[in-house]
Formats: sequence, structure tokens, C-alpha cells
Amino acid sequence: MLAAAGKWSGPALSAVGLLAAAVIALLPTEGRSTVAWWILSSALVPERMLPLAGVGIALALVRLRYCLAALGLFGGGMAIGFIAHDRLLSALEDIPQATSHQFLIGPISSVTIGLALVLPGVRLRSWLLLFAAAVSGSLWAVAIEVTDPEVDDLAIPVAGVVVGIWIVLAVSLTARAFQRGWFSIPARIFGSWLIAIGILYGAASLVPKHQSLFSSPAASIPNYVQAPGLDRLPFDDSVPESRRRKTNNGIPDEFQQP
Amino acid sequence: MLSKSAAAHIISTGSGGFGSGFAHPLTGPDHFLAMFAVGLWGAQIGGRTVWTLPVTFPLIMVVGGAMGILGVPLPGTEIGIALSILALGLAITFAWHPAEWMALGLIAVFAICHGYAHGAELPLAADPADYVIGFVGATGLIHLFGIGVGLAVGKPFGGRLARGLGALIGIGGIYFLVPALSVL
Repeated sequence: MLAAAGKWSGPALSAVGLLAAAVIALLPTEGRSTVAWWILSSALVPERMLPLAGVGIALALVRLRYCLAALGLFGGGMAIGFIAHDRLLSALEDIPQATSHQFLIGPISSVTIGLALVLPGVRLRSWLLLFAAAVSGSLWAVAIEVTDPEVDDLAIPVAGVVVGIWIVLAVSLTARAFQRGWFSIPARIFGSWLIAIGILYGAASLVPKHQSLFSSPAASIPNYVQAPGLDRLPFDDSVPESRRRKTNNGIPDEFQQP
Repeated sequence: MLSKSAAAHIISTGSGGFGSGFAHPLTGPDHFLAMFAVGLWGAQIGGRTVWTLPVTFPLIMVVGGAMGILGVPLPGTEIGIALSILALGLAITFAWHPAEWMALGLIAVFAICHGYAHGAELPLAADPADYVIGFVGATGLIHLFGIGVGLAVGKPFGGRLARGLGALIGIGGIYFLVPALSVL
């Protein structure tokens, strides 16, 4: 009975969370609180969820003592992130365009946890997971602080902690309950995706978009001199000769291209 | 003489977010065939290669992607992509089982070409994070699809079904190679 409850705790936790997210998403836009809006627009986005899902998958691949230690470090990392987020952000502020990609929080988390999933060897993965869990936890807390629109309101940090722990636990418990021998293969493939996403997203964020929003004015001005038919425009005889502007092919001389 | 429909995006060559990133490998037959062939070939070789090929591909694709993002010139990318389809198709057709390092090396070269093509588009994306997540996810899913098909058709009829699929992929490679070579 207890074993069955333990086995289904992960899927049950996933279902409850997904149901809550669906209820929030189905709320009318004008009826959404700031917390509900933040959960949908900042917490439950692929960029933030994927590294946490990676932590959950990695937790399912290691022994229970490493799993519990990594969970503790994830929580400790979050605490450090909340307490020292100003210092962490000042350390990351020299990154080009830091505010536009939110200090590369997503890419750093993705690469760190991706490495823990991809590297071969249970022992190496276990130790790297401890480090990755601490980094992911602290960066998750920093992401909460960076995206929190409220000042001196604990609602969003509390919601952020709940969402973060829910993602990690729901994925980890589900994966651990249904783990098979081949489970490390998709986990490694997922880890390689996380590394690729992190590096490519990070690189794309650091390089400025090299296409302007509008075409250059020079390119949009038609070449009147070469436009067909202008030389056949009807001549206005009602204008006296003295008041006519000097033209060439119907274009006033002052507007002729050199 | 009907007017053209209004377009919401004024950047004509740019990409959007997750949807366009996810659709890119799925709707581009050259990318799709190559990714599918990687999974199929890995499953045909068997053993560790089932997962080492699809794990290596995105990791090396990052190198090509970074080159594309930084605008580093890489001539012949389209030829490389077409050759990757042809070579993988031939490898599957002839059930070539090389040493793992050789298969990974071949995949790495092809991954750089594919990554470069994706990376060149990335700085134009409206939302680079979602675009990357979309196209890496779709790439991985095509790999998994290829592995699944490879495992399913690898045994029946002495593996002839898999080899037949390889031949079709190879023909696809020729289809893309001819126009790529004609622009030289």
C-alpha cells in the first residue's frame, strides 16, 4: 500500500500542479492576480522549466542519498539566491546586454544541468549533480527576483519557490517510480538538448540582431529618372512659360539625381 | 489583381519564437531527412551508438550554430547538408557499421553544417530562447523518431526495410545535392 502510494506520488503531484496551472490559464485575463500573471508569463515558460525538469531527471538517476543531498543543495541554493541576488547580479552585469537576456540565467542553468545528465559514470554524475542543483536553485531564485514586478511583497517569491520545487519533485518522483534500465539513454539525450539550448541561446543573446527593423530610406526611394512613362506625362499648357519649372523627363531640376 | 494580405511581421526574413523554431526542422525536408537518418543509422549499428549519435549531434551542432550566429563564413553549407543526407542514406543502404569514433566523426562534420544553417537565422529571431528550444526539441524528436523506426524495421526481412529507407534517403540527398552544386 505504502509502496503504491510512493510510486504514484509523482504522477499525482504532476496532475495536481498541471490542473492548478490549467485553472490559472483559463481564468479571464482581467480577473488574474499579479501572482497568476507572473506564474504564466515568467515561471511556466520553457526557458525556466527545462533546467528544473533536468534537475528532476538527474535526481532520478542517482542513489537516494545523493538525491536527498542534491535536493537540500537546491533549497540552499535558492536561499543563497534570494539573500545574495544583488551580488550575483552585479557579478553578471558585465555580460553584454545583460538585462535583455536576464543575465544569462537560463543558459547557465541549462548548460550546468545538461552536463550532469550527459557525462558518463554514475559517480561523476552524482557529484556534478550536487553542484548543478545548487547552481540551478540559486539561479532560479535570482530569476524570481529579476522578474518580480512587486516590491516588498512576498507573494511572488513564495509562488516561485512552490513552482520550482513542484517541477523538480514532480519530474523526479515520476521518473524514479517508472525508471527502467534504458532510462539513462533518453536522459542523456535530454541533457545534450539542454547544453545545445543553453549555448545557442546564450550566443544568440550576446550577438546583437544584425538586421534593422526598417529598410534604409535610400533603398525605398524609387529612381524617378529611370521610371518608365514619366517622359510621357501630359504637359500642362495652362501654366505660363515664365512660371514653369525647369524639368528633365518630368522631374524638376532640383530633384534630379546627380 | 487582388491585393496581398497584410503581414503582421515587418521583418520578412526573421523568425518568431517556439513555433517557428519547432517547425523549422520539421518543415525543411533536408533537415528532416538528415536528422531522421542519424537516428535510423544509430539504431541500425546498435549498441552504444543508438544514443551516442543523437547525443553527439546537438553537442557538435552548437559549434556550427555559434559560427552562424557570429557570422563566421562557412562556404558550401548547403552542399554539406545535401552530402550529409546522401552519405547517411548510403551508410544505411549498405548497412555500414564503422567504428564508433568514425561514425561520430562523420556525424560531427554534418552537425556543423546543420548547426550553421540554424545559427545564421538565430540572431534574427524575435525570441531566441523559444526559437532555440523549439528547433533543438524538434531535432531531438526527429532523432528519436528515427531510432524508433530503426528499431522497429531493423530486424524484419533481414533489415531490408531499413536499407530500403536508406536508399530513399540517399535519393533525397541527390535531389538536394544537384541544385546545391549548380550554384557553384
